[in-house]
Amino acid sequence: MLRMLRAHGLDAGPTQRPLLAGAIAGVLAAAPALAVLIGFQALDAPARAAGASVFAAALAYVGLMLLGGILYGWLFQRAANDPRGGWLFGMAFGFVLWMLGPVPLLQWLPDQPILHGYPAAGLLLAQLLWGLAMGVVFPAIHRHLHVSLENRPSSAFQSTGPEAVAQTQMLRPLPPSGRPPR
Amino acid sequence: MIRSVAYAKAVLAGMAGAMTWEVVARLLIWAGVPFFDLVMMLGTLVLPHAPAWEAWLAGMAIHLLVGAIWAVFYAYFFWSVLPLHPALQGMVFAFVPMPLAIFIMHPQFDLMHPLVQSGQFPSSGLFGLSGGAHEPLSIATGHLIWGTVLGLLYTRPVGYRANRAPRLIRRAIGARPPVSSAAEPTDHRFMFATGIECSYPTLEGGRWRMDQMAACGHYRHWRTDFHLVRDLGLRYLRYGPPLHLIHRGPGQYDWNFLDEVAAEMQRLGIVPIMDLCHFGLPGWLQNFQNPEVPQALADYARAFARRYPWVKLYTPVNEMYVCAKLSALEGLWNEQRRDERAFVTAVRHLARASVLMMQAIAEERPDAIFVNSESGEFYQACCPDPEIRRIAAFENERRFLPLDLLYAHPVHEDTRAYLLQHGMSDAEYAWFMQQDVRSRSILGVDYYEWNEKLIDSTGRAQTLGELFGWYAIAGQYYQRYRRPMMHTETNRMDARDGPRWLWRQWHNVQLIRQTGVPVVGFTWYSLTDQVDWDIALREPLGNVNPVGLFDLNRDPRTVGLAYQHLVRLFGADLNEAPSIEAVLDEASKIAAQKVRRLHA
Repeated sequence: MLRMLRAHGLDAGPTQRPLLAGAIAGVLAAAPALAVLIGFQALDAPARAAGASVFAAALAYVGLMLLGGILYGWLFQRAANDPRGGWLFGMAFGFVLWMLGPVPLLQWLPDQPILHGYPAAGLLLAQLLWGLAMGVVFPAIHRHLHVSLENRPSSAFQSTGPEAVAQTQMLRPLPPSGRPPR
Repeated sequence: MIRSVAYAKAVLAGMAGAMTWEVVARLLIWAGVPFFDLVMMLGTLVLPHAPAWEAWLAGMAIHLLVGAIWAVFYAYFFWSVLPLHPALQGMVFAFVPMPLAIFIMHPQFDLMHPLVQSGQFPSSGLFGLSGGAHEPLSIATGHLIWGTVLGLLYTRPVGYRANRAPRLIRRAIGARPPVSSAAEPTDHRFMFATGIECSYPTLEGGRWRMDQMAACGHYRHWRTDFHLVRDLGLRYLRYGPPLHLIHRGPGQYDWNFLDEVAAEMQRLGIVPIMDLCHFGLPGWLQNFQNPEVPQALADYARAFARRYPWVKLYTPVNEMYVCAKLSALEGLWNEQRRDERAFVTAVRHLARASVLMMQAIAEERPDAIFVNSESGEFYQACCPDPEIRRIAAFENERRFLPLDLLYAHPVHEDTRAYLLQHGMSDAEYAWFMQQDVRSRSILGVDYYEWNEKLIDSTGRAQTLGELFGWYAIAGQYYQRYRRPMMHTETNRMDARDGPRWLWRQWHNVQLIRQTGVPVVGFTWYSLTDQVDWDIALREPLGNVNPVGLFDLNRDPRTVGLAYQHLVRLFGADLNEAPSIEAVLDEASKIAAQKVRRLHA
């Protein structure tokens, strides 16, 4: 599957900055998600369980969502730039994060589930909203972060310049030959 | 972007699936069958103390929403992956959300549900299985119903009914003055070009239109697309206006869209190579078996040249051989025939159309230049079997057939017998041999990794990949016609290999130029990714092929940057190349010398 995706050209090109865009989008999208979490009092029980304040739990959430955004940019790369599908990729990613993070950590592993009732619903809603918002804002943020075609780094030349034609995956690799005398 | 998604269709299909699930569930519940009431569970989760109908409405809204979201997910990632009937594909896809619903969502909803927490509703346990088998079985059945309906309804995400135009074109843009003639571009020299993919064949007996400009978003993003062309440092653009949307009937033309496009091209200094017929026809002309096609296309070409007198470069009919082969010999497009007579008929009509179009344009604009783009094909016999060699030799002659007729090049005697056998009269053949439209022609040879083929021991053609390369294949076309040449199309399906392929093609062009063949242009085709070309547009699946200089979000691909690099590196040198007018003059002199030598 990954090979197919790579052949499909989902790798971000040398002018793109998916990790930075993901980090910024992840933090920005955490704002509405935090509002939902606070509104549903979904941070109270986890904070209590960890022996921390709600503010510290909120900060931890923002930090985790920053990492989540970076992970999103790294996984989706070029596909994350899709303005029509971004909301869906983001929401699916938010759902997966909820499924792999809070559900086992807060509901399965403890002796008793930590979140019940509306706080539990709030956590799911917040994750879906975070994913949705991140998926929507990611393409717009990324567009501003693209290195313009005019100013791309010289490191890009190896993959795009005349040397790109050279066959590097040969079974008998040879060192480049020396320059002939003038 | 992996697929081109029909959002509205996916949402409606997903909602229809959810609706069907609820209808079945409601009937079974009313019949006393123990079936899990998902909609009421969702409704009472949101409105625990509301009247039942309000809870049902709320639950239904959530159910429809979730059904629609999963349907879009299906459309993006799952549709057309399995070689199954669409209904079965949808049913198989239902196994993705099904375990999530049974093992995660249902028990988590229990934890969230106020009535479960207060003990009024039973809990299904940590993994949803403690309430007995009927709940997970109900959820599984519901998903299968939803998936089947989704699969049945979500089909053909790209294209449209042939009798309906896409919305953008239909929209009244308002009366616009005709495009006035702009300042003539300075003399044309070596042309670094790209193209907007514009094929528009019909499928399903002419009922379904595959329109690449629609599928690739060009109707929405055409302004952006032109800016991208200029951003890359390119000036020449192979552009095929949608013939099927412009030529509405005999003498009827809708130029609204093209007037705006043409004005923007002029403003940006883009020089179009106008591609007037690209693998399809307007519905009223039906297909390439219709003998009225050549004259109708000639009328269109004349009207086009009058409307846009500043356009100098034309491709009258794109890839005649491919068009005839896929329409009339392989049964994929347009007439969808599979017989030799239909193929010869399509070739006759396409070649005649091309001749008449060139004559019509030349009458309006005598200095027009024609880029006759054709697919560079080659057939290699696998073995010394005389029959296999005969097939390869026949195919190697047949690949030239449309160009032979266009350029009045006598065909091989076996091919002549083949033409006669399949409906081309001596008089018609003589008509072609009497035409002379070559003097302003550049021969474009397209090349892809599947153009060279092996005739295997069963006599079938198999793709060889790049065996001899563009240098050798284009060389054969040059030897036959002695026209100035252009590399008019190439790309690579594996995006990772795009830059390497680009440079390889470029080195082919350089080498053939060094041997004295006058190559006047090079093209990476196309500007953006394309849709369903991996299956030669034979089904409207919506699979995106990452062959573009930009993807369908208009983000640059590595090959786009490589092409920009190439143009910068070689552009200055090639600005000193002889002008195309000089190359055409030189080709005419050589042709005249050849004629004199023949007479002598």
